[in-house]
Amino acid sequence: MSKSTRGFGFGRRPGTVTVIEQKVLRSSARNARMAFIITALIVGILALTVASDRMHPILAGLLALPIAFVAGLFIWTLVRIWPVLRMLWWWTPEIGAAMALVYGWIALANATSTLVTFAVLVPLVGIPAVVPVIRRRVIALVWCFIVRHRLRVCFSQFIIANKSGSLPLILWARPTPVGERVWVYLRPGLSLKKLQDRLDEIAVTCHADSALVELASNSGKAAYLRFDIKRREVLTAKVSSPLPDVIDIDGMPFAYTPPTDVPAALDLPDVPAESPVATAAKSATSTNGKKPANAKPAPAADTNDFDPWD
Amino acid sequence: MSTIARDPLGTGRVPVAPGLSMFDPMFVGIDEFGEHVMLDVVYHNLLIAGEPGGGKSGLVNLAAGTSALADNTRLVLFDAKWVELGAYIDVADEFIGDEIDKAISVLRRLLTVAHNRYRWILSQRRRKVRREDLLSTIVTIIDELAMFTTVLGTPEQQKEFEQLLRGLVSLGRACGMPVIAATQRTSWDIIPASLRDLFGYRCAFHCTTNGSSDVILGDGHADMGYDASKINPDNPGEALLRAGKRAPYLIKAAYLSDEQIYNIADYAAWMRRPSGITTPAPPITTAWEMAA
Repeated sequence: MSKSTRGFGFGRRPGTVTVIEQKVLRSSARNARMAFIITALIVGILALTVASDRMHPILAGLLALPIAFVAGLFIWTLVRIWPVLRMLWWWTPEIGAAMALVYGWIALANATSTLVTFAVLVPLVGIPAVVPVIRRRVIALVWCFIVRHRLRVCFSQFIIANKSGSLPLILWARPTPVGERVWVYLRPGLSLKKLQDRLDEIAVTCHADSALVELASNSGKAAYLRFDIKRREVLTAKVSSPLPDVIDIDGMPFAYTPPTDVPAALDLPDVPAESPVATAAKSATSTNGKKPANAKPAPAADTNDFDPWD
Repeated sequence: MSTIARDPLGTGRVPVAPGLSMFDPMFVGIDEFGEHVMLDVVYHNLLIAGEPGGGKSGLVNLAAGTSALADNTRLVLFDAKWVELGAYIDVADEFIGDEIDKAISVLRRLLTVAHNRYRWILSQRRRKVRREDLLSTIVTIIDELAMFTTVLGTPEQQKEFEQLLRGLVSLGRACGMPVIAATQRTSWDIIPASLRDLFGYRCAFHCTTNGSSDVILGDGHADMGYDASKINPDNPGEALLRAGKRAPYLIKAAYLSDEQIYNIADYAAWMRRPSGITTPAPPITTAWEMAA
């Protein structure tokens, strides 16, 4: 998917678009060759064994050879086109939706008059477009499909897992109030730590504000991860408690009666100043029981009336 | 889920118990992905800290409101400021304002209950209380812990309070007596590590320094990126929650307005009469039924 010229195909000839990466292509060719040999060998031996029970072993061998070749060729073709099959599988929802749209439109247009066609289509398209709740839900679902592809781009373009280029299994996705949550099962070569180091790049690729990845469950599966793609901020919103909803104050025969012992001295002039003697006595014993830090012992009474200045 | 009983005043049927239980996870808010955050407070205790205006009292009131509406739950409230938990004064079995003597006395009673419960649990050949035991859950909520450990009373009383509280926090979690404590002074003299580590859930609202954030979340967490001093102070209710083995994560605590708090408290007070505990009102025996 890297080159973009004219045409469409697999080869490296000029005038074509490369839909399979070179590394994957080489890997696919090698795997197909190995699959052909192994399949042909196993099917050939089995066919020879079964056929030799009914005919001469040489004839059985001659019969087993084409059977083994055909079986090997079938498997070789499957493995060779596997990257394309895989790509079709990845885009199945979009292909399905596009086909349903096209065929649905054609069927509706053929079966009904133009007026009826529009009468069906206008509410079908208009209601989700006009009603905010449905619109938001539809957009959130669309983002779920988009983000799965964007994550796959991350894994194929800059998070290289292993030599064969196998990609992690991107499982289901669901919308969250801030974006999307996607579950992923890693293939050999990747780990949670490696992905945590690439979160900034993943967020950029997914057109998101930020991304977070953590273990999907406490079951101890290190390969089973959960991506949280964050596009909006919810922590600045006001969160309401469900408690007021579980009470029924309308039917409550409760009347508030203010207490009678409410203090009346609510301003500073209302509270009389304490006398210096009382204040000193209070600070000596202190309400909290602590002695003042700078408290000094009272000077001893002078009993001998001696004054050196006299 | 509501239990419906006949209205004692004869004005139709009214719900008398919403069906909440303290053994169910308590809703405290949402995380940064908008998912609900639920805490199993009974078996974990909860420590809440952060500077004034961070949203602490919202979470404290949420816990008090849930406890007040929960079935078979008793409240013991410590509030030196009176107004934070004062709405629940008619609901609480014990309400301690700024009286350190009463605070110590109540803590002693709670510890005695805890000891007795453990003896009872031992007799049942188990290690912790279960919902099916039908023992009441006694929720102790302390708003502004520092008032009781550094301001009110003598140093001896403060030390005794701290000692008793430590005992209750360590004993209460398995016998249905959880402690929810809040403080705005996040320093080692208020919350020593030995006390902090007894709280399974720790919630740090905005702190002034990364050191005070570590006092709540644990040593070295600020260096790992979990720093409550980086929380936006203009967004009250945002906090870092450390729950279980999971790394601390951002939450937004749910908010209750004063009107909602007093509605909940009034409803709970009416619902709990006359036993002081959440029980459906007994059916009315009319004069005709008595005569029959």
